[in-house]
Amino acid sequence: MKEFELEPGEHVVRETRKHWFLFLGELLPYAILIILPFALPKLLALAPPMAPYVSYFEYHTILGRAGLGVWLLIWWTSAWGAFTRYFLNAWVLTNMRIVNIKQRRYFSREVSSLFLSRVQDVTTDVVGVLSSLLNIGTIKVQTAGEDVEFTMKGIPHPEQMRDVILRYVSLKPQNTGV
Amino acid sequence: MPDQPLQPFAPPANLSSLLPNGFNLSAGVVVEWALYAVFAFWAIYTIVAIYHWLKYSHASWVAFPAMAVHLFVSFALMSYALSGSAFFLAPYLP
Repeated sequence: MKEFELEPGEHVVRETRKHWFLFLGELLPYAILIILPFALPKLLALAPPMAPYVSYFEYHTILGRAGLGVWLLIWWTSAWGAFTRYFLNAWVLTNMRIVNIKQRRYFSREVSSLFLSRVQDVTTDVVGVLSSLLNIGTIKVQTAGEDVEFTMKGIPHPEQMRDVILRYVSLKPQNTGV
Repeated sequence: MPDQPLQPFAPPANLSSLLPNGFNLSAGVVVEWALYAVFAFWAIYTIVAIYHWLKYSHASWVAFPAMAVHLFVSFALMSYALSGSAFFLAPYLP
């Protein structure tokens, strides 16, 4: 671990990220932009007044090929950047704390820890049909005394994660108000 | 201020007429430099992203395949833009 040093006796129990389906949703605009230069000539050909513009999408010329290559390179690199940010955002549960690693953009990184000894309440929240089908949800971890709340949004199998957290907090699930 | 008839504004026929005399700029040169600019931007972006992968990916096994796939696809697309040869992407490109 680069972001934080594990304490003596501390070990990583689980590392989780946003659900892959949410990541696919983030990739959708890039996929549309990548497909656009191939789909647009076919769509224009369907509308007779626009048909003359189909010739603008001729990719067998040097200029057309260069344009298409650059277009695809830009959106491929952007999509890969989105995957990089997706992967670098993570929640790490150790036997002593929860670590929230937020990679907002490049060179903007926040790492915050919440020690399990301070945890008072763990709540899971699954809202919506798709979230229920895919088991995507939010976990809210509240601490004693203060209004500090640790929120993990869009994680897969939130109930499992809650149970693992509670196991390490040494609280019985029925006492958490969940 | 004396009344002067408005002179019609004539825009230049092409941008090269704005360049100093003797400065020859062909469309091919413009395309070439535009490609260099895009590739330079790509290189900087990729170096920054790879730096983050290497520093923050927790030594995950995903890091090196992710970087390799990005480099392979990018080089194929660059090759396509420059020469029309897209290597393994050739069946998918016109």
